[in-house]
Amino acid sequence: MAVPAIRIDGLTKRYGTSTALCDLDLEVEPGEVVGYLGPNGAGKTTTIRLLLGLGRPTAGRAEIFGLDCQRQAVAAHRRLAYVPAEASLWPSLTGDETLHLLGRVQGQVDLGYRAELIGRFALDPTKKVRAYSKGNRQKLLLIAALMSRPELLVLDEPTGGLDPLMEQAFRHSVGEARDRGQTVFLSSHILSEVEALCDRVAILRDGRLAEIGTLAQLRHLSALTVEATFDGVPPDLTGVPGVTRAIVDGCHVHLQLQGPIAPLIEALAGTGLRGLLSREPSLEELFLAHYGAADDELTRDHVPVGVSDGDGDRP
Amino acid sequence: MLATLVARRAVRSGALWGLVFAVFIVVQTSAYTSQYTTRAARAGLARAYGTNLGLNALLGQARAINTVSGWAEWRFIGILTILGSVWGLLTATRLLRGEEEAGRLDLLLVGQTTRGRAAIQATAGLGAGLLAMFVMVAAGTIIAGSRASVGLSPGHCLALSAALTSGAAIFLAVGALVSQLASTRRRAAGIAGALLGVAYAIRMVADTNASVHRLIWLSPLGWIEESHPLTGHNLSPLLLVLVLTMTTAVAACWLARRRDVGAAVLADPDASAPHDRLLGDPIGLAVRLMRSTVAAWLLAVAAFAVLIGTTAESAASDRSGSSGIEQSLSRLGGHGSPVADYLGLTILVVALIVALIAASQVTAICGEEADGHLEALLVRPLRRTSWFAGRAALSILVLAVAGVVGGIGTWAGAATQHAPVGFGTLIAAGLNVVPPALLLFGVGALTYGLRPRVTTRVVYGYLAWSSLIELAGGLVKVSHWLLDTSVFFHMTPAPATKPDWTAAAVLAGLGIAGTVLGGLCFDHRDLQNA
Repeated sequence: MAVPAIRIDGLTKRYGTSTALCDLDLEVEPGEVVGYLGPNGAGKTTTIRLLLGLGRPTAGRAEIFGLDCQRQAVAAHRRLAYVPAEASLWPSLTGDETLHLLGRVQGQVDLGYRAELIGRFALDPTKKVRAYSKGNRQKLLLIAALMSRPELLVLDEPTGGLDPLMEQAFRHSVGEARDRGQTVFLSSHILSEVEALCDRVAILRDGRLAEIGTLAQLRHLSALTVEATFDGVPPDLTGVPGVTRAIVDGCHVHLQLQGPIAPLIEALAGTGLRGLLSREPSLEELFLAHYGAADDELTRDHVPVGVSDGDGDRP
Repeated sequence: MLATLVARRAVRSGALWGLVFAVFIVVQTSAYTSQYTTRAARAGLARAYGTNLGLNALLGQARAINTVSGWAEWRFIGILTILGSVWGLLTATRLLRGEEEAGRLDLLLVGQTTRGRAAIQATAGLGAGLLAMFVMVAAGTIIAGSRASVGLSPGHCLALSAALTSGAAIFLAVGALVSQLASTRRRAAGIAGALLGVAYAIRMVADTNASVHRLIWLSPLGWIEESHPLTGHNLSPLLLVLVLTMTTAVAACWLARRRDVGAAVLADPDASAPHDRLLGDPIGLAVRLMRSTVAAWLLAVAAFAVLIGTTAESAASDRSGSSGIEQSLSRLGGHGSPVADYLGLTILVVALIVALIAASQVTAICGEEADGHLEALLVRPLRRTSWFAGRAALSILVLAVAGVVGGIGTWAGAATQHAPVGFGTLIAAGLNVVPPALLLFGVGALTYGLRPRVTTRVVYGYLAWSSLIELAGGLVKVSHWLLDTSVFFHMTPAPATKPDWTAAAVLAGLGIAGTVLGGLCFDHRDLQNA
């Protein structure tokens, strides 16, 4: 059995009386792309800092490819690269000099790939770091991490400040890494990014793991969004087994359905039903559902009636 | 809004420093009046110290120090003006360039203000800090002066307070001006520090050579000395201080209005061809990042050392035959050479500069972590202890080099005047100033390992405390345990006496032990960004 790329066991971090991370267990297999979600202050960055040995855990342990993140940090760091959310680099060095320095400290660089990445991210490496915009500094960090072709990429909200074109370049680069068998641990607030890139998603809440699984597994556990249109006044569907949060809007009904769809189909028979659309929840809806977003937000933010999101459609 | 924000921080800091100054004034005045109770005792004091070459170089020319007024004027202006100037330049560069560098000024400038108005508000905020310092110092002088044994009128007390805070006023304005010129806080503080060094050096030369005493009018510190607020009643030189301060502040506001936020008048190029030399490892990187700062420090050490070496022979011959110098010599147990005696006292300035280098090295190490730069290295295959050991070793090497440069510079200066002090003696005297700096570095490193966020305050606070103890402790009897707390107290005044290498080894050993302990603590704590 392969050694997990990341193994976290009962990891806890307290700052004084406040608990940033509580008894976290998590495993990431080699070659997986795992999204790590959670609102501000949920403990995502704390997890990453403990993984990198930058912080000391209050309890529990973490391993990277079987190497203890605290005691064997140097050996673990040889096999990973990290991109932080905030780019803090030496303002007097140029982009080229920064990449040279970080490559030498890392100990391995694919020079051809480095040049390719500089072109892909359209970075001018002759400029000094202090002259870079926030987005360009972030590109520099991405290139510095990707150019060493590490076995594990730890990315903490890595695309802050990137324009949509560079966001695409980032997705392309992560896709390449995945295709080469590299593992990616991606903490992000951009849910579409996580949805597009990740095999599995872990959702953190108040320093605890609230949910983990593939998107399909998470969707399976969640409610289906159903939009029904009628010729006249819609029937009362609140008593139908599994139906929750039914909202009537003229001749339209928006509802959430948990469990089998058959009782609802039976209830709709002979009610003047003109159209029926159903879809699985988006990652955003799953995420919001986990954090107790208001019902009306859930119903307001979904795709418009009559538009479906592909394979999520059901009859 | 900006005025309030700057004022809040400047007032807090100014009041704190002013309080320390006030306590110093009250305690020192009380010690003088209780220890020198008779006219004969005060005359003896004047004979011993009034002609003391080294003290005149360090603190300015003594005048009528057989009276409490003359003594207070000489002692307090000599010490507190320099400390106030250091406070001024550090405060102004931190609150202006430092805030701009951190990007916080942008947030304020998007409010209902203009660039010019913001500059005026920030300057007004600094002025509030100065006022807070003046109030505290004035309270201290009035409390000290109101005692029957002292008998200073409130007018005299206020005049003395104005003189004592003049250095702070000038260097707050200078700090504001260089904050417009330099793109980083560190560089701005470096330029302002160099200007203070030049002003001090000119004042020092003017006070040790009667033939060039007129040079004193080239130094703002000289103007303050020449005001003699208690003995001369000639406050007109303080008008020069006022004019210089106002002109500099206006120039700072004018420049601030004409440049982009975040930019500097002395702009660096935004792009350059790569120079990868020294970028192979973290130590090379540290050398590259600090080489210009260290070069500036070493230049300052060399300049002061050459200066005191050059003036030693003539300054000593000015005072030869004086009964005071004989007493000084016997007290120090010196070689019997007035030149060596002069150098033994004035080399304390070099010791202070080397200690300042130690403090700045600790601050730089702290800054690498606080700025987040260290994180970029430590997420790579690099042991924390390796980084810290390399960085500390580099700092210790810089301190040792500074000591040697001090010795060589003093010798070079003295050699030009054919002064009878040998090369080896002065190299030993130069190395003799390193252990106190090592001890300070060790205290700083240990604090960094335990509480990185308070390190800068602790290390500069300890240096200020040690300087006060060292400069003031020799004149009035301070309890021995207090003297022991100064990093300089166990440093012998070489070349006036032979260096005490045992004491030096203990100081250096304590410093290195503190550094090792600091490194171990650093290895076991969380990395902290600002």
